[in-house]
Amino acid sequence: MTDVLIVGAGPAGLSAALACREQGLSVRVVDEFYRPGGRLLGQLHEEPDGQWWNGLEEAAKLHDKALQAGVDIRCGVSVYNVAKADGNWQAFTTEGVCEVPALLLATGASETAVPVPGWTLPGVMSIGAAQVMTNVQRVRPGERGVVIGINVLSVAIARELQLAGIHVDRMVLPALSPVTSSAGHPEKVMESMLRVAHLAPSPLIRLGSRLVQSLGLQKRGIRFYPSGGIRMWGIPFQLRTAALEIVGTGQVEGVRIARISPEGVPVPGSEKIIPADFVCIAGGLSPLAELAAVAGCAFAYLPSLGGHVPLHNERMQTSLPGLYVAGNITGIESAKVAIAQGTVAGLSIAADLGKLREPEPLRHAMERVCLVRQQAAIQFHPDIALGRERLHQMYEQAQAM
Amino acid sequence: MDRRIQHHPVLGAIAPGKTLTFQYNGKPYTALHGDTVAAALLAHGVRQLRVHEESGSPRGFYCNIGHCYECRVTINNRPGVRACLTLVEADMEVFSGERLPAPLKHPKAKDSSEGRDSQLLQKGLREG
Amino acid sequence: MTSPDMVICRCEEVGLGKLLQTAAAHGCSARELKLRTRAGMGTCGGRSCRSLILAMLEESASQAPGHDMPLGCQPPVRPVSFSMLGGTE
Repeated sequence: MTDVLIVGAGPAGLSAALACREQGLSVRVVDEFYRPGGRLLGQLHEEPDGQWWNGLEEAAKLHDKALQAGVDIRCGVSVYNVAKADGNWQAFTTEGVCEVPALLLATGASETAVPVPGWTLPGVMSIGAAQVMTNVQRVRPGERGVVIGINVLSVAIARELQLAGIHVDRMVLPALSPVTSSAGHPEKVMESMLRVAHLAPSPLIRLGSRLVQSLGLQKRGIRFYPSGGIRMWGIPFQLRTAALEIVGTGQVEGVRIARISPEGVPVPGSEKIIPADFVCIAGGLSPLAELAAVAGCAFAYLPSLGGHVPLHNERMQTSLPGLYVAGNITGIESAKVAIAQGTVAGLSIAADLGKLREPEPLRHAMERVCLVRQQAAIQFHPDIALGRERLHQMYEQAQAM
Repeated sequence: MDRRIQHHPVLGAIAPGKTLTFQYNGKPYTALHGDTVAAALLAHGVRQLRVHEESGSPRGFYCNIGHCYECRVTINNRPGVRACLTLVEADMEVFSGERLPAPLKHPKAKDSSEGRDSQLLQKGLREG
Repeated sequence: MTSPDMVICRCEEVGLGKLLQTAAAHGCSARELKLRTRAGMGTCGGRSCRSLILAMLEESASQAPGHDMPLGCQPPVRPVSFSMLGGTE
């Protein structure tokens, strides 16, 4: 019988698999994507030291190590249910039922949309879809695109599209609506970008500090933001423009935009339709924790971590014995944090199965997560550390009950 | 028009690979080994992969990673397969999803067999 | 501002207008909204619209999200054929 089943062959899952193998456990990893690497595959950005973080290369390194270590990796396999059975976990997959003493959910995140009317047209895709199509599948999403939603994720990916020679016409906000929350509010978008831009040394800080420099924005605010936007990497960032509707017959042909007030109210008479053949919707990421939910895990709602997160501790244990989590399912952070968490999860599993010969590596791995977090080049939310503290508190409280 | 990103300043050139042929809605298309069905079709400028089963509104891939199921197509007679997760294989037959009749919800079908069937259905429902 | 309605649940094509109307008429939870409109009951299992429905309720009905997973979560979390569930092919 396999000792450990890991759902997700992304950076967290593969790192956990390696850590388990190093302690002599037998490991199977399943992933519904057709190749291993998870969302690490599409990543491509400059680190503060000028080196490129090349997701395809990093994923290949992890994959090769895992194969050499004897990890059984099965791609194209979906897990549709998990359940407790006689002290073990049963995972119901499209290749049969797998019963194991330890189950790790490393399923990552899903994207939250910021919808506008017309967003179901062919040619409208999530910003992540454009990243994967460009960097992994090497097919242009289109000839002329508009990105709706300005945040850390969309800025990073717009840069990647531009790097690949794809014409991103502009970045705009979604029209204000009950489902777009503050994403359609220029003042709030500006605040949130500046907060993140000041967090860490990162290419994104260029956007923040350029904005601050060119307009003295900290004093005067969004009111004096130029309507044509500020260009970064040749792409106009139009925080005072909203996409009201995506138009086209059968597929995307254009976007109806309008200038907006600092509170997101369209300026009458400023509407026009701009041509486009693809549109990217960018709302942010949220933990993909449906398997934790069907397993019966308790959750916490923590916006700083991206939404609903399964309760777990720093050893990556959930409140359900034998069930672990690692990576973006625990809260939205970077691939490096996912790798560090995966290592913790693997060692934690080994310890719980009585196979960890010494406690040192686990303690060291847990410290490493904090270190990697502090050094992160891209943070999605300024309050991640606080969010994690709150999460661990809630886990302890739940355990004490 | 070449919709593929042949050269990339950091990722380099696309690795040379085998070309395959497959069919979409009865038409032949070429693909590169390693393409997903969604990517191969996009490389030919084809974005529509199905229509909404009730409204008939055109749909294509949205998330491209298997979460949203918008890209579902019928492949070699198997329906509901995600085009974004499925690698093209030689001679694959892919069909887009079509609008399905909804006689209970839309009984006002025009003079057609669909209309007659829905009238009969209404009669059955009334009379039990 | 008159703007065209927009689809929130892509799978079942449930529009924002319908969701707002239903929420206002019944003062309901996310789960009840799902049961009344079918939003969240389509092929993707609510994966794409769960957070949108939550955002809508937070904004329009001042319902702060609770700690539990909204809309509930029932297996199977992927569409599976009967043959996979134990029948014959």
